[in-house]
Amino acid sequence: MKDENEAVTSAKGKLPMLTKDEFLEPLARLRGDSVVVTCMGVTRPWGRRSHVELDFASADSAMGHTADLALGIALARPERKVICLNGDGSMLMTLGTLVTATQAAARNYYLFIIQNDTYEITGNLPIPGAGKVDFGVLARGAGFTSIYEFDHAASYTASLPAVLGGEGPVLVVAKVEPGTEGPISRSAKEASLYLKESLAEWARRMRRALNS
Amino acid sequence: MAQALRVLEELKKNEVTHVIGLPDNSSVKLFELLKADRDIQLVSVTREGEAFAIAAGLWIGGKVPVVLIQNTGFCESGDGFRGTITRMRVPLVCLITYRGYAKMTRWRSEEPGAEPNAETLSRAQLDSAALITEATLAAWGLPFEFLHADVDIPKISDAFSQAESSEWPRALLVTCDLA
Repeated sequence: MKDENEAVTSAKGKLPMLTKDEFLEPLARLRGDSVVVTCMGVTRPWGRRSHVELDFASADSAMGHTADLALGIALARPERKVICLNGDGSMLMTLGTLVTATQAAARNYYLFIIQNDTYEITGNLPIPGAGKVDFGVLARGAGFTSIYEFDHAASYTASLPAVLGGEGPVLVVAKVEPGTEGPISRSAKEASLYLKESLAEWARRMRRALNS
Repeated sequence: MAQALRVLEELKKNEVTHVIGLPDNSSVKLFELLKADRDIQLVSVTREGEAFAIAAGLWIGGKVPVVLIQNTGFCESGDGFRGTITRMRVPLVCLITYRGYAKMTRWRSEEPGAEPNAETLSRAQLDSAALITEATLAAWGLPFEFLHADVDIPKISDAFSQAESSEWPRALLVTCDLA
């Protein structure tokens, strides 16, 4: 289902996009007891909003493997929704995961692709196919049948309850403005709870939370 | 040759819940058994790097995954393996079929002391995948044993024990067809 609001070019001549706040705030409000897996440019912004053990930052991890990691959690815990906030550059690295996800038919899997057309973490150079790649079409070709695309905050916020209430696998393409997040570390200096520990420590913490 | 059915039974003995992988000529029989099996869920991937990330997610979710791939696919998986399984210290057991092992063994017996180099890695009679397999596993910190025949199948259980106690992955290099 396409966003029904017409694409309107802004006064500055840019295509309409959500801000990161507009994208993340409704998710934080509606996620409930879902697992949320983040990577790249939304890792810190999500970590500023959420401080629970059901969050997982795919940081200091394997670049491009966030969607498949989240799929593994979804397959392990079918009773719990798993929301993956993947970057567009990250998604391009493992497009085959779109097929793997539909074949695995995880009903609790909600894959969000944050399309800002840049590699934000390394200075906002454009991704291959910037401005041209259509993740909705790719997802449909991979077998997704629940596909949503949003570039306006109002329609996104209004539709999100239905999106998250639907049966997965669900794919959401969100056009979000690029930010200026720099490289992400894992250390006590990071403000986000889920970045304060090593990947091995946080993986165990989440494992205990999911299996207690 | 080793019996695919016995490998499957050994996996069940260790309460494996999911096998994630991509079939090759040596493992196709085991994949067929897994596809029909009711106890273990088979997750087919499009490229082997996915298998390690999915396995890491399954382990976080409390399951017992096994990755079943060919050595060529392991080489392809580099960062997926490093960034998930080793970075998270997942006690994963991997079954890696060893393409080119027989040719390499003959070569080693005919040319003792010969090493992988520009000439041997490009020689048509050798499979370069085999020549770099063990060195790659060693470089990436993945301890391994060999599964040459039925008699070696109990090593799968040993690998599970060692992986669990060390909180680190282990591999079985499968040098024979699983029939």
